[in-house]
Formats: sequence, C-alpha cells, structure tokens
Amino acid sequence: MRSGTEDDSASQGESLPIELRGVSKSFAGITVLSKVSFDMRPGEVHALMGENGAGKSTLIKIMAGLHQPDEGEILVNGKPIKFASPKDAHAAGIATVHQELLLFPELTVAENIFLGQTPKTSLGAIDWQTMRRRARELLDSLDSHDMDIDQKVSALSVGNRQRIEIARALAQDARVLIMDEPTAALAEADVQRLMAIVRNLCARGVAIVYVSHRMPEIFALAHRVTVLRDGKHVATKLVSEVDETQLVSMMVGRSIDRLYPPKQGEDGDIILELQSVSYRNVVRGISLKLRRGEILGLAGLVGSGRTETALTIFGITPATEGKILIDGKPVAIESPEAARDLGIAYVPEDRGHQGLIRTQTIEDNIALANLKRLTRGFLVDVARVTAEARGAIARFGIRARGPEQPVRQLSGGNQQKVVLGKWLATNPRILIMDEPTRGIDVGAKAEIHLLMRKLAGEGMAILMISSELPEVLGMSDRVLVMNSGRIVATFGKPDATAEAVGTVMTKSYNKEQAA
Amino acid sequence: MMAIAASPGRTNLQRFLSGYGQEIVVLLSIVALFVVVGAINPRFLSNTNINSIFAGNAYIAIAAIGMSMIIIAGHIDVSVGALIGVIATIAGTLAVNGYPIWMAWTVPILFAVAVNAGVGALVAYTRIPSIVVTLGMLSILKGGLISITAGKWITNMPPEFMIAQMRPFGIPSAVYFMVALTIIAALFMRYTDFGRAIYAVGGNIEAARAAGINPERTVVGVFALHGLFAGIAGILFATQLQVIQSTVPPNLELTVITASVIGGVSILGGTGTVIGSTLAAILFACIGSALIFLNVSAYWLRAVLGLMILATVLADMARRRRAT
Amino acid sequence: MTAARLLRHETILAVLTIIALAVLASMSDKFFTPENLLNQGRLMAEVGLVALAMTFVIVTGGIDLSVGSILGLTAILLGVFWKNLGLPLPAAILLAVICGTFAGWINGFIITRFNVPPLIATLATLALYRGLAEGISEARSVRGYPEWFFFFGQGEILGVPFQLWLLGIAVVISGVILGLTPFGRATYAIGANETAARFSGIRVNSTKLWIYTAAGFCSALAAVIFVSRVTTTRSDMGTGLELDVITGVVLGGTSIFGGRGTIIGTVLGLVLIQALKNGLALSGVKGDGTIVVIGLVLIGAILVGALFDRNRGG
Repeated sequence: MRSGTEDDSASQGESLPIELRGVSKSFAGITVLSKVSFDMRPGEVHALMGENGAGKSTLIKIMAGLHQPDEGEILVNGKPIKFASPKDAHAAGIATVHQELLLFPELTVAENIFLGQTPKTSLGAIDWQTMRRRARELLDSLDSHDMDIDQKVSALSVGNRQRIEIARALAQDARVLIMDEPTAALAEADVQRLMAIVRNLCARGVAIVYVSHRMPEIFALAHRVTVLRDGKHVATKLVSEVDETQLVSMMVGRSIDRLYPPKQGEDGDIILELQSVSYRNVVRGISLKLRRGEILGLAGLVGSGRTETALTIFGITPATEGKILIDGKPVAIESPEAARDLGIAYVPEDRGHQGLIRTQTIEDNIALANLKRLTRGFLVDVARVTAEARGAIARFGIRARGPEQPVRQLSGGNQQKVVLGKWLATNPRILIMDEPTRGIDVGAKAEIHLLMRKLAGEGMAILMISSELPEVLGMSDRVLVMNSGRIVATFGKPDATAEAVGTVMTKSYNKEQAA
Repeated sequence: MMAIAASPGRTNLQRFLSGYGQEIVVLLSIVALFVVVGAINPRFLSNTNINSIFAGNAYIAIAAIGMSMIIIAGHIDVSVGALIGVIATIAGTLAVNGYPIWMAWTVPILFAVAVNAGVGALVAYTRIPSIVVTLGMLSILKGGLISITAGKWITNMPPEFMIAQMRPFGIPSAVYFMVALTIIAALFMRYTDFGRAIYAVGGNIEAARAAGINPERTVVGVFALHGLFAGIAGILFATQLQVIQSTVPPNLELTVITASVIGGVSILGGTGTVIGSTLAAILFACIGSALIFLNVSAYWLRAVLGLMILATVLADMARRRRAT
Repeated sequence: MTAARLLRHETILAVLTIIALAVLASMSDKFFTPENLLNQGRLMAEVGLVALAMTFVIVTGGIDLSVGSILGLTAILLGVFWKNLGLPLPAAILLAVICGTFAGWINGFIITRFNVPPLIATLATLALYRGLAEGISEARSVRGYPEWFFFFGQGEILGVPFQLWLLGIAVVISGVILGLTPFGRATYAIGANETAARFSGIRVNSTKLWIYTAAGFCSALAAVIFVSRVTTTRSDMGTGLELDVITGVVLGGTSIFGGRGTIIGTVLGLVLIQALKNGLALSGVKGDGTIVVIGLVLIGAILVGALFDRNRGG
C-alpha cells in the first residue's frame, strides 16, 4: 500500500522538495500560525490535520505562494527561497489542487491541462496535436482512460474536473502537490479512484500534502501526519504509530478545558418536524424532531448535507420530497419569506456573502428582515429602525460607534451579533445557526455560546450546524450526524463523545449500504 | 449526457458537431435561405444580388470579428458603429485633401487602434464596466463627428482610394478581405497564446490569473485588436460608395453585436468563434435581401434580429444551466 | 449621518450645477430667463420620467437599454390604435401605455425567470421593440391629432408646462418610494448584495419585476408626452434615449454596480446635463457638440466615482 520510501534518511534536508522552518503568520493582529515547522519527503503522502481555524489553510497558502510568512523560512532542496507569488511556487515545483477547482468551463480538457504552458510547433503556433497527445498520456497515466480530452469541462463531473487539475500539476512537473480536502465533494466511486491516483503519484516520487478530515483515507494513504491546533504544531508522527482516537484527541485536545454553559430548563413540545425531506440528491430523506428549549447539533463534514438541509428548511431550496411540520401542522416553505413568517430564522454560514450587506449600516441590516414590522402606513419608520438597532447593540453588546456604522468596519464577532440581532428581531421560534462562531475570536465565541443557551432557556428551538467538534459536543443537547446527505447517527448528550461522533462523521459510507 | 462524456469513443464527426454546433446551424440556415428564396424568386440567386449580399456586408462581418473577440473576453462595445463612421470620414477627408492614398488608409486604422486601446485601458484598470465606457465613447465619437463635419458629404474621392470597389478576378475586394481576415483571425484565436488568453480571461478570470495570464493586459490587447478590425471595416465602408455621409451609420453596433451572438459567441464570455460571427453577418445580409425578394417589408428586419438575439441568448442560458 | 454620507455626492453635484448655471447665465443673457428655463424643463421631462425609473433599475445593479425603443413602440401603437384601428384617442392612449408597460414587464420576466444578464436581455428587446415599431409603422408617420391632445406636451398649468407638473409629481413619488418605503430598502439591498437580500426574506425577483415594469410604464408615459409635444408619431422616436437617461442617472451618483443612488441625485444630474446642452447651444456650440460633452461627463463622473470607491476601500 505504501510506496517505496527510498529516502527514509532524507532528514539532512538536501533533497526535501519543500521544508518550512518556524513559520509564523498573523492577520490583523490575530496569530493564525505560530512557529510551525513542516517538511515533505519525495514520494510521501503527508496528511495535514486540524480543526477549522487550526491554521491548515494558511499553511498550505504559504506553500503555494499566496501568503508570505511573517517569520521563519521556506527551503526548497535545502536552499532558502521566497515565494512572492503563486508563480514562484509553481516554478519551485509546488502545485495545488484547489478546493474550488480553478478551471475554464468552456474550454476542452486538453487545453485546461496545458493553458499557460502550451506546447508549440517550430513556427511558434500552439501545437494542438502534441497537446492532445500529451493530455491523453497524462490522463492515461492517471488511469483516466475514459476521459475524453476534447470534451468541454463544463460537461464533466467534479471527480473528473479534479483529475484535470491533477493532470495540470503533473504537466508542470510538480514535485509537491497540495490537495485541499480533495474528497469533500466527491462521490464514493470517485474517492476510490482518487486514492488510486494518489498512490500512483507517490510511486512516481511526487510528494503529496493531503488535507482531510476523513480518517479512513488518512490511514489508507498517508505515511506521516501532522496535526495543528490553534495555529501551533501539535505533533508529526508516522501514521503507523498512531490510531484514530489519538489523532482525534490531538486535534480537539483543547475541548476538555473549555467550559460550555450548562443547559437551563426543560425541553418543551416538538415545534419543528421533518418527515423524510429531500432536496434533489443533496438532502436525502431527512427526518428529525426539534423541541422548544433544545439545542440540536447537526454534525458532519463539509458537503455532508448539513447546510443543504438548513437551506431546505429555510426555503432557499424548497424540499422536493417529504413533509415539514410546524406545531404538528404541515407547512409549505417555498421561500425565505415564508420561512420567516412561520417563525424560522437562519443565521447563515457565510456572513459576508449571505448574512450581511457589508456596505450598509448596522441599522439597515437589522431592519432588512423586519421591514414589514417597521413600516407605518407606506413608510419605513426610521426612528423605530434606529431604536431597534440601538436595542440590539445594547442587548448583544455589539461594539460599534452606533447604529449608523457600516457593518464592514466591525470585527467578525460583532458582525455575527448583527446577523443574530437581525434575526432575533423577527421574533423567531426556531433558530437555525450555521457555523455560529466561525472566524470569531475566543471572547466573542463564549458570548455567543452563552446567548444561545439563554435563548434556549427562554424556549427557543435551536438547530446548530458546526464543523467544530468541541462546539457540537459542548453545546448540543442531542447530536445528529450527517454523511452523504443522510442522517447516519443520533447521539444523546451522554453518548456524544468526540471519538464516537468523529468516527461516524468521517466514515466512508457506501451509497448502497447507507440506502 | 455523462455517458457521452465518459466515452472516449466519439467519432471525429461528433466532436466536430459538438464543437461547432452554432456555426453549423447558421451555415445551414444560409443554405436553406438560398434554396427556399431562390426557388420562390430566382432573381435572388442572380450574380448581382449575391455580389451585393457579400460585398455590401463584408465590413459588418469584419467588424463582427473584433466584436466577437471583445465578447469572448467578457466585454462589450456599443460604440463600434460610431467608430466606423468616424474612420470613414477621416479616411475620406484625407483622400480628398490630397494626402497619399496609403495614409488615407492607414492613419484612420491607427486612430481606431489607439482609441480602442484607450477604452480597453479604462475598462481593464479602472474596472468601469465596458458598457458604460463605450456608451460614453459612442456619444463622444458621434457628437464629435457631427459637430466637426456638420454632416457634410464627402464626394470626388480619387478612384485609387476606393479599395472596396476594386474587383480582382471579378470578385469584389471586400469579399477577399472578409474571407482573409476571418481565416487569419480564426487561426490567431486558435493557435496563439494571446488568442487562448482571450478565451481564458472571458471564461474564468481567476483561473486565468492562476495560469500566469495577465488579464488586464489581455483586455487592453483585445480592445486594440478590435480597433484594428473596426478600422479595416471603416475603410471598406468608406470606399464602397461614391459618397461618405459623415454621419454615424444607424444601429451598426447592434447589427455587429447580433452577428457575434448569433454566430455562437456566448454573451457571458469564454466561448465562440470568429467564423461563426462572419457566417452570422452573411446570414443577416441574406435575410435582409430575402425580405425584399419575398416582398416582405424590410421594416421588419430589426424585429427579426431582436427575436434572433433573444432566442440565441435564451438557448445559451438553458445550455449553461443544463451543464452545471 | 447615513443621509449625510449618501448626500455627499449630491452636495458636490448641487454645487457643480449652481456653478454651471452661473457660468452659463453669464455667457448668454438669454439663458437665465423664465421662458428659457421653463422651455428647458419641458424638454427635460421625457428623459426625466424615464430616468426616475432607471434609477431604481441601476440601484438594483441592472440596466435597461430598451427604454428608447419602448418609447418609440408606444408612440407608434398610439398612432396606429387611433388612426388605423379607429379607437377613440383616450382609449388609444390608455392601450398604448398598457402595451409599453407590458414591454417593460417582458424585460423583467426574461431577466428574473431565465437569469439573463439585464444588459443582454434589454439589448435584445431594444432591437425587438424598435423593430416592431418600424414593422408596424412601415416608416409612415401619423399626424392630425385633435387639439386637446397637445395639452400634454404643450399646455401649461399656472404658467408652468404640464409635463413639468407631471415630472415634479413623479419625482416626489419615486423619491419617497426609493428613500422611505420598504420597497426602496429592498431595492438598495438587492443592488448591494442580492444573496444577502434573498437570505433576509426579501422578494428579490418580484421586486425586480416591478422595477422593470415601471421602467416600461415611465417610457410609455414619456412617449405620450413626446407625441403630444411634437404633434406627430414616428418610429425612430426615442432613439438613443437610453444614453441620455443612463448618463443622467450615473452622473447623479447612482453606482453602476448597484446599491447606491438617490432620486435627488438623478434630478440634479438631469438638470446639469440639460443646462449644459442648452447653455452650450446658446453660446454657439452646435447641437451635436453637446453630445460630446455629455459623453465626457459620463465617463469622467464614473471614473471619479470609481476612484472614490477605491479610496474608501469598499
């Protein structure tokens, strides 16, 4: 399974395709990486693990030349080097398979592989024959004999697009390939093919930085694993020396010493019920019950269908099948407006894009979901809009100059409080919070957790989606785990341990098996 | 859909059909139009008429080549009609006032390249949408032209200046220009890095940047090239009649944009060919001419154009929605 | 404070307009006379009506290039309904205005239902509506309207042209809607961040549909006034109107990227343009020379706006 590691003795650094020594990076005063060292050996798969916010993506962006470290040095083949731009990283043989797949949908497979470095004829014209032949060879070498090199990329599946990006890296003679959550959006069959390709690349001496949360993949593929936590290097180990439990506790170790506010009061009646709700093939037959006063945690990896379920409840992508009941009565939720009028609020995961109008003021943002209530006759009652915003600022402790400050000037935590203020002003009975504390500093995080508990104590039903295991475990009264669009496990508070939830989350479910 | 995508066993014919679908549709429409209208009114197929269809509209096809490049790069230019009017007037004025003929031909073209490179720089570096910049250009060029010339007609141009009226081997030279420029542009778009960069920038500007392309320089370049084609189109336009009216040809920009779009250039950028736009320009000329020969009022021509753009755009949107 | 921020551009523009008026008045003693000013107001009314609706369109981040064609089509239909179909003139007017409004609705429908970029959708309908006007009229003009009809374009109430009253009322109504109602808030929200607006329960598509329909309605009203003013209908009426309208709106501080703009700004923009046109004409610049100035002013205004935006880091 593991390809020949001919250079176990490569610790002298001479032939290391990339090595980072004591790298630090901070953004706007917040340290995201602190003295992290990391190195790659030829032909190895080096897994990079850690929770969201642990510093993984900053680390790979530094290797890809997108960020420059504040401190520390980068060495390629033992020589110090500076990457001023992604171009420099390319030249040093480092390529990235992006999560968002940077391809040209209207161009062919062959051209997507070679664009920017196309083979030329002696006359200097693009040599399409050679390009197509080499594209064919590259794809064949990745065991993708079935991919048509003349097909437009727009017609291809995500798995195929990813193979094109890999082929593109090979065409650049990459010695280090960074793969950022490569299986997040893949179907099971594609995951298997990807793993075969990764092994194949290792055998050719390409070093692969493999960022993933999925344990089975890590244990099947990786030689070494590095765990980051809170921007610090926790450990680098041979995979053969660790087991799953150890990895999980290395990643989430901090959770033990963090205090989450205790539950207040008892659960009330069932307020929201989903009966085998589906949306296309992203949300598959979800059934759940949510009670007043309860915080229900929805765990799962990115792409497991958590957010998609929330979007269906909130009417952005109305359910294509199944029933939604509120207070036991079936309801049709065809738009966010309908959801709001039924007392559902949704604090979305992407604050800047979905949650807020960044150029507008705090009061404008808070008014937006409450226009009907804040209107007298035909006109918006500006005094009430301001009063409402002042109320929210006081209630949630939003640190701002006043209701007229544009929200783009606020910190992440305060922006999140504005979103919360907007939605709580609608007097919801059901609050869906998608990644409620993503990108927020520790203090604001605790404040939001406290607020959630308080709301639940007052009878609010909260559905919380989070990628941070400690948050899910610490905040939820019950935990549902999603995987491949389905709910695959339910845990009560006592049974919900990091190991148990983490295992179900990261398990590769065979489609048939789950069905 | 996926079954085809996964199968490498497609024949060259299928590949060709899927790559050039819109071009083939346009070509077949032209053929069908000739057959049907010719059957109803044989005079439609007369030499004179065919000559006037091709030669009389060659400048539109040539302007549409440049416009296609602009749209493929993800931009638009609504000032091209005014630019052609200005070029024709400059060329005619130079020719009448005794400047050497080669200057009367090249100076206006250089002017067009310079003007459009400026427009391109504004669009690329200030991020003002091309529609706004070119709307402004439209009024500057149009107003400037009319206020300077007061709409005076230019006549008595030297015969050797009238390049569009020359007929080597009995075929109007405008047709040679149209064919040659279409082929050159098609080869350029297919076989040069710059040509492919135009597709890349229009298709996914971030991916283009990641592939080492400079999107800003590409946009300036493509506007300059568009100026070159508009310049040549302007010279042909100036020399095809004995008189230059010193006004902006009405709605020319719309006809040119329509030719590009119907020729298969997606208005969202990133795809299309210049062969398609030339064929579409010919198709329009045929439709305009056919309306006359079928005794349908030519006044409906523009309504037909509008419907055709709408249908093409809706089909494009539907195709993209299916693909994602 | 919000208002102050929004009005900053308008303040600059107001000062600019006053300076322009002063300079123009000093250049020609015919400029600052009541007759001239009222007459200029009369000429401004058609562009002004359409510009009010266009402000909403551009604030949502869209654009409508077909307004001039809708004007032409409505004018032609008015003539055809009255002369060729023999409808009573009031009925013909009403029907034509309904048709023009419907044309605007079609724009909105294509844009919201099929996700066609507004630029392209209205470019297509620009050709389509103008083509229909040409096809229906076959370049024949309609004349001989009864005397009472000319009131809309030539009449006066209390010494002020009828269409100026209409424009004034429209300015107040649209200003109130954009500035003070939930609909106006939705319009700004859509232009600033359509996704966030949708996620806040704003009815994005129906708001846009209303706005494009209103643009059709305003263009149709402008057509009636236009026909009444020049006493004849021709299919080329309103050609190039979109340019004047967009220039006025953008000059008035409405961001072409959406999310920002006011009715007051649009009115100031229109006044400035009309004053420039008239003033330059009075001081001997030929009619078309003024178009050059408008083009330069348009590009200049956006350039300055873009630089402002960059400096604010927005």
